[in-house]
Amino acid sequence: MNQLIFIAKKEIKVAIRERLVISLGAIIILLLGVALYAGYISYRQQQQIITQTQIEKRQEWLNQGDKHPHIAAHYGTFVFKPKTILSLFDFGLDAYTGTSVYLEAHHQHEFMFRPAQDHSSMIRFGELSAALVLQVLVPLLIIFLAFASFTRERESGTLKLLMSQGTSFNTLTWGKILAYAVMLVVILLPFLLGLVLLSVSHMSYDVIPDIIVRVAMLVLIYGLYLCFFIAFSVWVSLRSGSGRNALLTLLTCWIFFAILLPKTVANLSESFYSLPSMREFKAQIDETKRNGLDGKTPRSVRMANLKKEYLEKYGVDSVQQLPFNFEGVSMQAGEEFGDQVYDYHLNNLREIFHKQNQLGSIASLFNPYLAVQHLSMALSGTDTHTFIHFEEEVERYRRELVRKMNQDMAENSKYGEFYGYKAGSDLWGEIEDFSYRVPTAWQLLSYYKLELISLMLWMALTMVLLHVANRKMKPIHE
Amino acid sequence: MNRQIQTLIRYEWKTFVRNKFQLLLLVITFLFGLYAIYYGQSEINAQRETINAVTALETKEFSQYKGSFTTEMENQTQEQTQDIASRPEYAWYRHGYHAILPPHDYAPLAIGQRDLFRYYYRLTGTSLHYQLFENELANPVNLLTGNFDLSFLLVYLFPLLIIAFCYGLFSSEKESGTLALLQIQAVSIRKIMLVRMAFYFVLITGLAIFISLIGLCSSGNPFTEENMLPAIAWVIGTTLYCAFWFGLLFLIISFKKGSAFNAISAAGCWLLLLIVVPAVLNVIVTVKYPLSSATLAGLTRRTGLENEDDEEESKEVIMEFLAHKPELAGSDSLMKNNMLPKAYAAFTTLKDINSQQEVDHYNDKVAKRNQWTSQFLWLSPAVNMQEILAEITQTDLNTFLDFQNALADFHGKITDFYFTRLFWDRPILLEDYEQLPVFEMSEDLNRGNIIWFGLGKILIAAGLVFLVGFFRINGGIKK
Repeated sequence: MNQLIFIAKKEIKVAIRERLVISLGAIIILLLGVALYAGYISYRQQQQIITQTQIEKRQEWLNQGDKHPHIAAHYGTFVFKPKTILSLFDFGLDAYTGTSVYLEAHHQHEFMFRPAQDHSSMIRFGELSAALVLQVLVPLLIIFLAFASFTRERESGTLKLLMSQGTSFNTLTWGKILAYAVMLVVILLPFLLGLVLLSVSHMSYDVIPDIIVRVAMLVLIYGLYLCFFIAFSVWVSLRSGSGRNALLTLLTCWIFFAILLPKTVANLSESFYSLPSMREFKAQIDETKRNGLDGKTPRSVRMANLKKEYLEKYGVDSVQQLPFNFEGVSMQAGEEFGDQVYDYHLNNLREIFHKQNQLGSIASLFNPYLAVQHLSMALSGTDTHTFIHFEEEVERYRRELVRKMNQDMAENSKYGEFYGYKAGSDLWGEIEDFSYRVPTAWQLLSYYKLELISLMLWMALTMVLLHVANRKMKPIHE
Repeated sequence: MNRQIQTLIRYEWKTFVRNKFQLLLLVITFLFGLYAIYYGQSEINAQRETINAVTALETKEFSQYKGSFTTEMENQTQEQTQDIASRPEYAWYRHGYHAILPPHDYAPLAIGQRDLFRYYYRLTGTSLHYQLFENELANPVNLLTGNFDLSFLLVYLFPLLIIAFCYGLFSSEKESGTLALLQIQAVSIRKIMLVRMAFYFVLITGLAIFISLIGLCSSGNPFTEENMLPAIAWVIGTTLYCAFWFGLLFLIISFKKGSAFNAISAAGCWLLLLIVVPAVLNVIVTVKYPLSSATLAGLTRRTGLENEDDEEESKEVIMEFLAHKPELAGSDSLMKNNMLPKAYAAFTTLKDINSQQEVDHYNDKVAKRNQWTSQFLWLSPAVNMQEILAEITQTDLNTFLDFQNALADFHGKITDFYFTRLFWDRPILLEDYEQLPVFEMSEDLNRGNIIWFGLGKILIAAGLVFLVGFFRINGGIKK
């Protein structure tokens, strides 16, 4: 044990003597600081505008004056995608998902405005976030730190000396790993504290209910990922003949993991499962609405059936004799049919998205970078599944709003008197304001089993490799 | 070419051919290049198919209208079609025109922002802003990851190839002990390094140009008028960009450190120029020019007259609108026929006029952001190169902003066409279909300047790093 600590101490001393490593560490700290600060400012700016606009829209809804409920359902309202406090850590898909949606009767509008559209094509290089630093840059720092861990000892002949002192490869390896881990902790600690402070201080009014669990999980997952990189780099160094080879091998792996594979996988998924264009998607929906889900029941037939059903049920001859306004009922039936059609087509579309993303999940088994990227977005509440959940909540809210309007129309107005009836602020107030909570971390993580398995597997694999190498290694160079 | 240089090149050729790893690297890069071209073409072809489908829909719609003038009316649907075709009170919000931004022939080589923005719109005479802000379907995960197109290969991967080939040019001699032998030759180390660099420059840049030519020729005919200059700019850009990275490597080598140092510094430069600088600039611009589309969202609300039965309200709205368009005000039957459609037409137009300021304000902010970032393009030749390639293939932000401006003009033409008929109570005749509004977008005259100016910056950067390296490398060798 003493020996282990001794080795670790020596390794840290050597590293501190190298100006390159010190300056790289300083750059990382600086970048993390900038990322956290900028992330926070941008979170505040966006959150402020969103909250404010949301309040404005709510007022507009409440104060829209007296009008027919169906007109109110068309007047509708807006919902804006809230920022999560953890989005200051990982922007995730925030720049590429739409940010606002218009809710009205009959139409499921798509989310509008992707923030990336307000940038030049430089945005495609990525935005500086703490997640980017941790996922991409820190592994590189680890590589620069550790590539020479064994090759240097070997090239300068100190390895033999160490061995003759009775140090085992095992102690040496773990001493070095410990040293790099300690250095990383020192570099990352201020950042970690900042993140925890920021997220805890915003806990009470954020859309994330279980922020502490999420931060803890983030720390754990990034810890695993970075430990993997340390162990892997030391292993490569252990197995390499020269520092130059070790460095090249590690850099190649890094480029493959962080740059090449993610793009290739995304592109392949796009080629395998192609998306329809918006025009086609809308045309399909219109087509089904016109001719029914079976393709042969047009609207007129559906309406006639509905009318017949109600007349028989209440034993009357005409819709005017019904105890409520049939228009409200038929309006709601039309709405529900429209929802059914939309759900059908949306599910087909989601299925394509799902297949595309599934390919990424499978690829993460071969690439720890992808695994961490997905998990990090999920825990920060900026991933696809959170977005889909949000979309579903919004759609549920819209349907409830329209249903209430139609119900009111059926109960309180008379058949054929569209302009005769007006509802007022009492009815508008019955619709609760939209509020959103993201699903819990555990619910989200259930979508990311492959990613979790991937991290475990890579960690285990590296441990096994290290173990085997430690046993087989001979101090003397042949 | 003198004997020394010939010997040096022959020697370099031999070492290059013997190194199976380097050969493999080139082959892999070449295959990646083919894949990138294929991928880009398949993406853009999918867009072309959508455009064709959309155009076909429009042609069908309008041929129905035209046909309804000559066919005998037998059923209700035909009557409806004729009403829509000939009566402006129906036609103005039903006739849909497509405004299309067709991809440039070379768009497959640098997809740029084309996967992010809409490249076609269906416009009717109703409120422009109601129709403008819908997104195209896309998987946000894939948008975030970006495209593996030829520009990615050139901008990201070729520098790595150059680093892999050149980082050890000097240090490997030092490490294998042959440096001393080189130093006692009559040729200077500078000259040896220059010749070796030049050898790899020709090799790798040659490969880059070769792949580019495959892309350029398979994506379009480079000899047509609109493709010629872009093709030339592309090839020049590729050459200059490679030259910059060779210059940078030459500078790193001139420090005459070990292989590991060279590799780390080269990788560090790559990281700085391709990841750190753009990422920092992006985050600064987001914070410095905060933009929230939340302010625009309200414009898309579908609103109508307060009370459609109230004629006074309709009249007021129409009068308010006519103050903006006095030329539509002359008809005797102005307030007699089609009050409601006229009021609605007036209403949506007024709404557009009132919200135009907000949209302009927003677009100004986007333009400001764009302007701010472009000031800093000299910081990273890599980002600069990417912007230039997007500019060449017309997939850059400015093209899409121009497209949106052109949309507004086009919408103006559409409303003019229908409103003159609606407010003057004139039916739409068959001959009117010969002069339907047509979408036009003028050529961006500044494009050439931006491209050549940007290339100039890369040239300067390349020259700078090369010169510093050139003067450094001879110092301190005598040790």
